Amino acid sequence: MPATFYGRCLGRLLLLLLLCTSVSGGSPTDPAMTTQDSNQTEVNSVTKMQAGHESSGPGVATEKLKPAGKENSYNVSAHEILLSGVSGAPLEKNVPVPSPAKVELTCKLDENSNLKNPQVTWKKGNETISHTSKTPNSWTVQLTISESSQLGSYSCILKSEKEVSAVFHLQVPKIEGKEKPVITYEGDRAVMVCKTEYNPKAWTWYMTNGTELVAIDKILPIDKFQIKRQSASVNRLEVLKLSKEDRGVYWCEAAFDLGSAKMRFELRVLSIMAPLKPFVAIVAEVAILVTTIFLYEVYSKRKGKGGEKELDQTERL
Amino acid sequence: MPAPAEAGRAPGPPDGGWGWVVLVGAFVSIGFAYAFPKGLAIFFKEIQDFFGTSYSEIAWVSSISLATTYGAGCAQYLEVSDPQFRVGPISSILVNRYGSRPVVMFGGLLCGVGMISAAFCTSILQLYICVGFITGFGLALNLQPSVIIIGKYFLKRRPIANGLAMAGSPVMLCTLALLNQFLFDNFGWRGSFLILGAILLNCCVAGALFRPIGARTALVTAPVTEEGEDAVKRNITEDGPVENKPEEEGGKDCFEKINQYLDFSLFKHRGFLIYLIGNVLMFLGFFAPIVFLAPYAKHTGIDDYSAAFLLSILAIVDMFARPLTGIIANSRWVRPRIQYFFSFAIAFNGACHLLCPLASSYTGLIVYSSFFGLAFGMVCAMLFETLMDLVGAARFTSAVGLVTIAECCTILLGPPIGGILIDAFGDYKYMFIKCGTVMVLAGTFLFIMNYYNYRMLAKEEKERKTKEEDPKSVRTENEGKKNWNKDSTQDGPELEPLREKGEGVQKEMNGTIEV
Repeated sequence: MPATFYGRCLGRLLLLLLLCTSVSGGSPTDPAMTTQDSNQTEVNSVTKMQAGHESSGPGVATEKLKPAGKENSYNVSAHEILLSGVSGAPLEKNVPVPSPAKVELTCKLDENSNLKNPQVTWKKGNETISHTSKTPNSWTVQLTISESSQLGSYSCILKSEKEVSAVFHLQVPKIEGKEKPVITYEGDRAVMVCKTEYNPKAWTWYMTNGTELVAIDKILPIDKFQIKRQSASVNRLEVLKLSKEDRGVYWCEAAFDLGSAKMRFELRVLSIMAPLKPFVAIVAEVAILVTTIFLYEVYSKRKGKGGEKELDQTERL
Repeated sequence: MPAPAEAGRAPGPPDGGWGWVVLVGAFVSIGFAYAFPKGLAIFFKEIQDFFGTSYSEIAWVSSISLATTYGAGCAQYLEVSDPQFRVGPISSILVNRYGSRPVVMFGGLLCGVGMISAAFCTSILQLYICVGFITGFGLALNLQPSVIIIGKYFLKRRPIANGLAMAGSPVMLCTLALLNQFLFDNFGWRGSFLILGAILLNCCVAGALFRPIGARTALVTAPVTEEGEDAVKRNITEDGPVENKPEEEGGKDCFEKINQYLDFSLFKHRGFLIYLIGNVLMFLGFFAPIVFLAPYAKHTGIDDYSAAFLLSILAIVDMFARPLTGIIANSRWVRPRIQYFFSFAIAFNGACHLLCPLASSYTGLIVYSSFFGLAFGMVCAMLFETLMDLVGAARFTSAVGLVTIAECCTILLGPPIGGILIDAFGDYKYMFIKCGTVMVLAGTFLFIMNYYNYRMLAKEEKERKTKEEDPKSVRTENEGKKNWNKDSTQDGPELEPLREKGEGVQKEMNGTIEV
């Protein structure tokens, strides 16, 4: 009967909904994959990452001194840029280095390019570095990054008839946050979330007092600020009971072994009147339109009835 | 000018006049119903961050989390599954009982209230109830009455009207996408929800335009055109199912009462069954490609913005394809065979998907998106038109309700099956092949079955014509009406290929009326 039919379909519906959600857990769009994709700044660059390096965080975090023997326990990551031989702006790649590691940078020349037997130099700034050539068309430098001074831009320059170059920017991992202002309302709470790909040693939040950065930590009232650690790589700041004074700039800082990264948030606190004005305007417009439509309908019906009466009269005549 | 003998009778569908105003209302209403849930996808990430929930924690709360997993594509798939298919049958019952206008106005009010209360929510559960249930229910109440009232106001130009009204969806989508982004940047999500609630109240305005057309059953001496007579004769009943049943209210059991509002006898209707089976099959592969288009693009190495641009291309082509399809479907050559056109559109859609794996470059994907947009628009524009054509405007209300119940399962199954295929093989092409195959099969099935249906209808028309030739001079109008109603339970399409024979019968009818 219809009721059980509906009931069965609803039941099936719910089951399928649950099925959907559990299946979509295995979505092909893993967040890790998409952030990797977003790291590709040039179409021609290819990244090869070895699996081991992501787990380097906690293990390496504790060591401040770096005895030589420890270098063997560093994780190795390899990065490559494929050059097409077309001269123009140098191809660039950002290489995040969260902790001391061995990094291999390779410049590879496309087989189909016009450049033949180029002279290759690797440079950091003005300093030349020695490199090796694993294959006829690729040149590699192997770096051991153990201090923040070793971070920077490493470039490979290929010169024969033309000159092409590529640059690797070795830097502390970037933080993802919100570039646009965070908009909240008085009495509500504001949430700012900082996320990185790698696990930093520590997170710190700052608010600006004039031109100074003041760290928000346990000293400040717990019913006003709450710092929550959603995971090692995601940290959030909640500002409760907002008022106009809370607006301004907030910073989140992630401390890595080789340096720290910062992210800026702008907090704007609006009063409830701000959206209320357009709201009232639109509701008024709706009310006016609906009334007009109904009045017009009544009016045209009356006119129609008057016209029909005339028609009947003329017919009788 | 109506002849004196017809003074008591209202004319059939006006096919113009106030109908165009109703069309504007339907455009707005359908646009909101389809595009609004999709447009909310912009807010989801922020809301997730705000309430501090991770995807797995709220996995059972379907809409929001599904949308964030798949992004815009999933919201697009939800656009149809959520509003329409949760409450399709309820919508039909309400329209049968109260007419289109009160239902749409109530729906608009409900949406508005839902979004306004969502602006003040303090937990994700409350948000889901307000946005998912209340607003979703309100939007669903918008969709079907709008489609139904088009069937009441248009007949000869109905395919154009349908095409134009369904074009509301992509237009609203583009508008809402930009508007939502603007509102979000200036007012945050709470303020945006408040303002969107007010904007949704405009559905009430659309509903106010749906002036009830009080056509009682009429045998029309409308200007004789090549196309309209059979349709006009068989389908101008306003409260068809209700009139057919006995008038006394007492002594009816629950089943009969429901049957009064939702016409289950449609399951014996040959055309309806063909439509149902064909569409159920089609929906298995209809939405999955949209859901996975952007992820597939990213998988082949295209960046986020270009992937989103593919969906925009789809929407823009869709926007123009729908009215265009309506115009084509309305032409003299296509309208009598509109079912074939529909099957062709479905098969074309399937062919696009089958060819998609061959397109691996960005240009290839752009071409694919354009053709997909075209095919998608063609199918959507004719989705309701073909059902109306098969069962007639009178029983369309119940038909669309029943169709949504049956389709809800396969619509929800489509993308998850696609997802399973992708995860199992690690490659998107099997999903495209599956969708393409399913749709080509559905198109072929519909084509063959409709050919059979057209032939059966032609046969029945011939039989009926021979029956009529005997008592034609004795028959009164009322008897004629009853005969038409009885016959309309067996055959639906207004425009069989027997145009000339139809014209002959029409002239006979003219003769009896003017007596």
